[in-house]
Amino acid sequence: MNSLSAQLKGWRTVIFALFLRELQSKFNDKLGLSWAFIEPALFILVLSFIRGKVTGGDVHSIPIFIFMLIGMIGIQSFLSSLNSISTAIKKNKPLYAFRQVHPISAIITSAFLEFSIKTVVIFLLSIAVYLMRMPYSFDNPVMLVGVYLLLWIFATSIALLFSIAAAYIPEIDKIKNFISRPMFFISCVFFSLQDIPKEYWHYFNWNPVVHYIELARYACFTSYGNEGVSLAYAAMCSLVSLFFALSIYHLTWKNILSR
Amino acid sequence: MIQIKALTKSYPSVQGRQYIFKDLNFTFPTESNVAILGKNGAGKSTLFRMLAKSEYPDRGQIITKKSMSWPVALQTGIHPQMTGRENTRFIGRINNVRSLSEYEKNVQTFAELKNKFDLPVKTYSSGMRAKLVFACCMNINFDIYLIDEATSVGDPHFRKKAKKTLKDKAKQAGVIMVSHELDQIREFCTSAVIIRDGKLKYYKDLEEAIAIYTGEN
Repeated sequence: MNSLSAQLKGWRTVIFALFLRELQSKFNDKLGLSWAFIEPALFILVLSFIRGKVTGGDVHSIPIFIFMLIGMIGIQSFLSSLNSISTAIKKNKPLYAFRQVHPISAIITSAFLEFSIKTVVIFLLSIAVYLMRMPYSFDNPVMLVGVYLLLWIFATSIALLFSIAAAYIPEIDKIKNFISRPMFFISCVFFSLQDIPKEYWHYFNWNPVVHYIELARYACFTSYGNEGVSLAYAAMCSLVSLFFALSIYHLTWKNILSR
Repeated sequence: MIQIKALTKSYPSVQGRQYIFKDLNFTFPTESNVAILGKNGAGKSTLFRMLAKSEYPDRGQIITKKSMSWPVALQTGIHPQMTGRENTRFIGRINNVRSLSEYEKNVQTFAELKNKFDLPVKTYSSGMRAKLVFACCMNINFDIYLIDEATSVGDPHFRKKAKKTLKDKAKQAGVIMVSHELDQIREFCTSAVIIRDGKLKYYKDLEEAIAIYTGEN
């Protein structure tokens, strides 16, 4: 068998080739790649701005605009990556004729592409916040980056599971839409967990996305507090879902090729 | 030489598992150009795809030290939105060719696409696509080329060229071919493997194999 470094190099070439292919085929209209950044940035900016104008003021010591911004980035990272990564296995099916290309290469490529796009979007939004002279703060940048990465691990794992399921049951896409739509409303995007009476918290804080979003707000403004959410729970959700998704993949990938 | 050891392959269906091969043991010769013959549904394409490792058996192994091409069929790995050049570069990259620009140039000349090479593949005719795929494969050095009716669409001039290239390649490399057109098989192959009822049988003489194959139909 080949040495580990040779194998890693092989994987890198395949993923690089797939990445370029994805870029070339996804953005060959007139607007090109720029649309990928502008669209989500505008969507998040406008929604946060409107919400800020309607209510105004602060939410538990965070300016409402920043509050919405963090919530929107969190839920968009989860939902839009779930949507595009979970179609990756099916979309690249013709390419599995090349034995170098495995279904997981398609997943990694798609996840990496989504991650890069969203990270650039965050960068653009930060510039916008800075230019608009909004008050901002990063009290705990390490935790913020950590929570962001955990969110991506979680989103990619769930997307991998849906992607595998879609190879067996094509109808799973309908169920995915059905499940993902309410996520927008129950993930503490528009409100804070603190706004909800404590006795109802258990209806909300089973959802790891709530933890990622609330922790991100806490990481930016320590004064916001982190009651009801925990970094340990968020990390466990990411790691368990990653382990579970990879195990299922390991068991099924050869079958997926024959489908 | 390709060794097939205790290979089992099945597909699930509403009528239960459909077995294509059950505990198959076989030594696949690669010294000469081999055709795979068999009725529709006998498992030609499945065997072919498993040799290429585009698909894996349920149980058992396929062991070989030779490097094999991907199964060269009409559309494999070609993205219609991308140009011929971009597609070529993609195939070159994942197969680790030494110099991409040289490979690109060779494919362009071989496929005779001229300036169409920089247009999206969706604007190509089916013959041109076949040429592109075939050119991409022939310009990489493999020990064994797996060809699935890819050459049947080109015009006579291109077919002649393809045949000549395959003949040249046959000096250091082998060809395994699946096709229903006996004329085409006669052009490229010298021996054959017949698949019947999940069993393989090798015939050193192509004509003998064709006689048996057409007789049984």
